[in-house]
Amino acid sequence: MSMHDTTSAQGGAVRWAVPAVSVAFGLAYLVAGWVGDNLGFGVFGLLLMLLVAGGFVLASRHSETVAGLADRRDERINRLDAGASQFAGLILLLAVLVMFVVEVARGADGSPYFQLGALFGVCYLGALAFLRFRR
Amino acid sequence: MSSILDIMKNVVRALRTERGLSQADLAAGTGVSRQTINSIETGRYLPSLPLAIGLARFFETTVEEIFDVDA
Repeated sequence: MSMHDTTSAQGGAVRWAVPAVSVAFGLAYLVAGWVGDNLGFGVFGLLLMLLVAGGFVLASRHSETVAGLADRRDERINRLDAGASQFAGLILLLAVLVMFVVEVARGADGSPYFQLGALFGVCYLGALAFLRFRR
Repeated sequence: MSSILDIMKNVVRALRTERGLSQADLAAGTGVSRQTINSIETGRYLPSLPLAIGLARFFETTVEEIFDVDA
């Protein structure tokens, strides 16, 4: 098997990662709804995630960008994905910090925003330490 | 202050067109998307070293012949 064939095979496997994870979460929603006696939520969650998976597969056949996000073989699209994820993560962190302050100002203990912020900080430091020794 | 994209110049488009290739042909030959080739040609994207070497090998030249710093 040539290097190109190996890369193609890896790309083919990776291509199904997002749809597979979407369907897996949909099934998790279904099980959670069933266990929590809220089957309507579970069925809605599964259908929504099936829609997301199907939409991703269809879009990847018509859009180079979505196809690149699916197979991870294009370095520019991978960088776009990393930049977009970084931006979204920073916005999410900002929202968590603002909500923590709002909750404290309302007399609450800041949960769950305190825990989410702490989790972000621990994950960031852990990733930084890991990458520091790898690169 | 100039960004790195402002001072990097390349001749990818010239090399491609003088060989009569489309952006899609070059994309297929180097394993990236057509959009990526377009972004490199228009100076909006600076390729990684492996991709720069891949482009140089595709055109049977050197990285320095394709990319230059116009500082």
